[in-house]
Amino acid sequence: MTGITFIVNMYMSSIVYVGCAVFALGFIYKVYFEYYKTPQPLVIPQTPQPVTLSGVILRMAGDVLFFRSLSKGTTFLFITGWIFHFTFLMMIIRHLRYFIHPVPGLITALGNGAMFLSVVLLVSLILLVIRRFAEERTAYVTVLADYVVLFLIIGITMTGIMMRCEPFRPDIVAVNAFVLQLMDLKAPFKMLGMHPAELLHKGQALSPGDVIFMCHLSFVFFLLMYFPFSKLMHAAGYFFSPTRNMVNNPRDVRHVNPWDNS
Amino acid sequence: MANDKTTDSAQGNTNDANARVQELIKFVKIKEKPVELTGHYEVPCIKPDSFIDVKPQLLSSVEQLQRLGYPTAGLIPDWKEVFLKKMDEILKKYRSVKLFLDICVRCGACTDKCHYFIGTADPRNMPVARAELMRKVYRRYFTWQGKLFGSKFVNGSDLSEELLAVWYTYFYQCSECRRCAVFCPYGIDTAEITMAAREILNSVGLVQKYMHEIIDKAQTIGNNLGMQQNAIVNALEFVQDELQETTEIPDIQVPIDVEGADVLFVTPSADFFASPHIESLYGYAKVFHQAGISWTMSTHASEGGNFGLFVHNYGHMKKINKRIWEAARDLKVKRVIGGECGHMWRVLSSYSNTMFGPFDWLDSRYPRPQHICEFTLDLLNRGALKIDKTANDEFVVTMHDSCQVARGLEMGGTEFGQFEIPRGVIRGVCNRFEDMPENTIRERTFCCGAGQGLLGDDMIATRVKGAIPRMQAYSYAKREKGVNFVALICAICKAQLSKMFPTYGIPMEEVGGIHQLVGRAIVLGAKEGI
Ligand code: SF4
Ligand code: SF4
Ligand code: SF4
Repeated sequence: MTGITFIVNMYMSSIVYVGCAVFALGFIYKVYFEYYKTPQPLVIPQTPQPVTLSGVILRMAGDVLFFRSLSKGTTFLFITGWIFHFTFLMMIIRHLRYFIHPVPGLITALGNGAMFLSVVLLVSLILLVIRRFAEERTAYVTVLADYVVLFLIIGITMTGIMMRCEPFRPDIVAVNAFVLQLMDLKAPFKMLGMHPAELLHKGQALSPGDVIFMCHLSFVFFLLMYFPFSKLMHAAGYFFSPTRNMVNNPRDVRHVNPWDNS
Repeated sequence: MANDKTTDSAQGNTNDANARVQELIKFVKIKEKPVELTGHYEVPCIKPDSFIDVKPQLLSSVEQLQRLGYPTAGLIPDWKEVFLKKMDEILKKYRSVKLFLDICVRCGACTDKCHYFIGTADPRNMPVARAELMRKVYRRYFTWQGKLFGSKFVNGSDLSEELLAVWYTYFYQCSECRRCAVFCPYGIDTAEITMAAREILNSVGLVQKYMHEIIDKAQTIGNNLGMQQNAIVNALEFVQDELQETTEIPDIQVPIDVEGADVLFVTPSADFFASPHIESLYGYAKVFHQAGISWTMSTHASEGGNFGLFVHNYGHMKKINKRIWEAARDLKVKRVIGGECGHMWRVLSSYSNTMFGPFDWLDSRYPRPQHICEFTLDLLNRGALKIDKTANDEFVVTMHDSCQVARGLEMGGTEFGQFEIPRGVIRGVCNRFEDMPENTIRERTFCCGAGQGLLGDDMIATRVKGAIPRMQAYSYAKREKGVNFVALICAICKAQLSKMFPTYGIPMEEVGGIHQLVGRAIVLGAKEGI
């Protein structure tokens, strides 16, 4: 059985490293070269756009935290979408316990509601899927990629929920050790030398918990790898959106068009 | 066929692609009936391709195309290359376009927000679907996935003549009104994408007639109507005579090219004689006269409007705007004030400063171009104008927020000034004012249905359908609140609504400018000065 364990370990550690690298490089490339570096020639803020920088920051905060713009148009999407993003964020924060030691009190506290939050997350995702095909106009513009993203996140959530129940509970200590090993700077080089750390060191056959954990981890990193090349970039792109991030004062403060220097 | 010459030369060249496209986008006259006015608009169920036949005419005048710098004989043979090159250029020059193509999540929040979709039920008129037309090309040719795996994999589109035809159809069923962007969680402004698409179409030789004729006239002659200088002088002298006759005040003036005047006033050339526009011109003249401020119009900058805004061709817009800047300098004025016009105001206030820098020789109290409503409200607030509100008592007035003003720039230095200031002027000269329903005014205002290059007679089908939400909202206010006058601050809105009102069975006289109301209420006579 060590053969399988070896392959699994190899697979899991490489997907983590490759995933992180692709995500980080892709994300930075996109944000820096494609969003930040592309000039915005003219001032196109959009009402209700404040006339001061602090006002603009407040408006953007309202959009990011409370989906203010979205709330004007569609109540159902606004509520479901907001719940989805909020619970998803909470779950991500909850996962910090694997990386930060000792675990901050706040995250431990979150643990009490974690199960509830993840179920809410799952429900909101399912509602979003239903909306995609049930709402005629949205269905018309939906493409396969939209479902792929939704189902990936559903997969992550479902495996996440499963792992909290027997018999799928993986060995928490082992998972923690796995993460810690991965975070060890030397780990990638060990891999290069084909001496993988004993990541899931049970020594014996894979338990159902390990398999689910493997799926969970795979989905997460598929999502991360897909992130920079997809609509998921809206997370970063919003902050560069010229209708939202420009101060509404072009008469007072001259905006310079970088490619018009005459 | 828009023009026979184009077809002939195209066949002469045996340019098959051109012949195909010409066939696909050939102009057919389509009549659309107005709907019944119930006071409410409904979001329709989608009817694919229901408006695919409505296309504007192509520009085929060789001289005009040459002056504009576009291909002169229809679609060029190597159009795919040029198309992609142009698109690449725009993606590198406009963050708005690049970003908006990238980050849409197809959430559908904008799908029921466009007046053209509400009017036509054609799903490609949903803002996100319109943008997807370009996004599909973007995914296919400008992402590595698309380049590697082809259009199927990324849900993209390969370039084809059919695609061009669809672009030409639907990017000319968007009035760049930006309503969709109000509701989009990321502020995705479909207008920016439409502007880019139109310029890409232009670069391969598919140039819409109405709008580009005007751009050409504004650049070469100086105004959208193509009036020569003496015609302008005549028209304005006529206005002055009219004014002097009706007011019986011999020294009320409409000055032209007066060096050293305090104010350079620019306004759409339609104001010189079109109706109801001209009524506002009387209003402006009366305000200036009564305020005792010397002002002048310019034959060089005889146009306030700037159709160059409607395509992502920075050069057009800059060239047209330059005339205002030059006129202000040559006439040595102290202030620049713009009349009632939506896109003029956007260019003058938001872009002029970027393109030509501040008008820094102006009076330091008024260093920036002002809107006539800012100017008039200021006078009203200071009591510098004598007003008899009862002159407007026959009207219950409502206001149509013109989109380029409403969703564009601040007025009066506050973020909602563009709503409060014009309303302030109306309230200052009328006793009765009522708003239309909340979701059709202010930043959620519906376009009149003919903005940004869709005002041509060839677009009448689009105009009739696009006006539906506005007409319904107006008829609601009319029925519930007795409204019988809509005040506007946009020349295109005036032209469109004064045509649509009769179409929908409402008298044309119910359309007018804000300064028309001001002009009626102002009591001329002994100047109180300021
Ligand atoms: S609202 Fe914005 S993100 Fe949603 S579909 Fe429309 S353009 Fe895309
Ligand atoms: S800008 Fe206006 S016309 Fe164009 S898609 Fe958006 S709502 Fe429709
Ligand atoms: S014509 Fe008026 S209503 Fe229509 S787009 Fe322009 S400003 Fe808006």
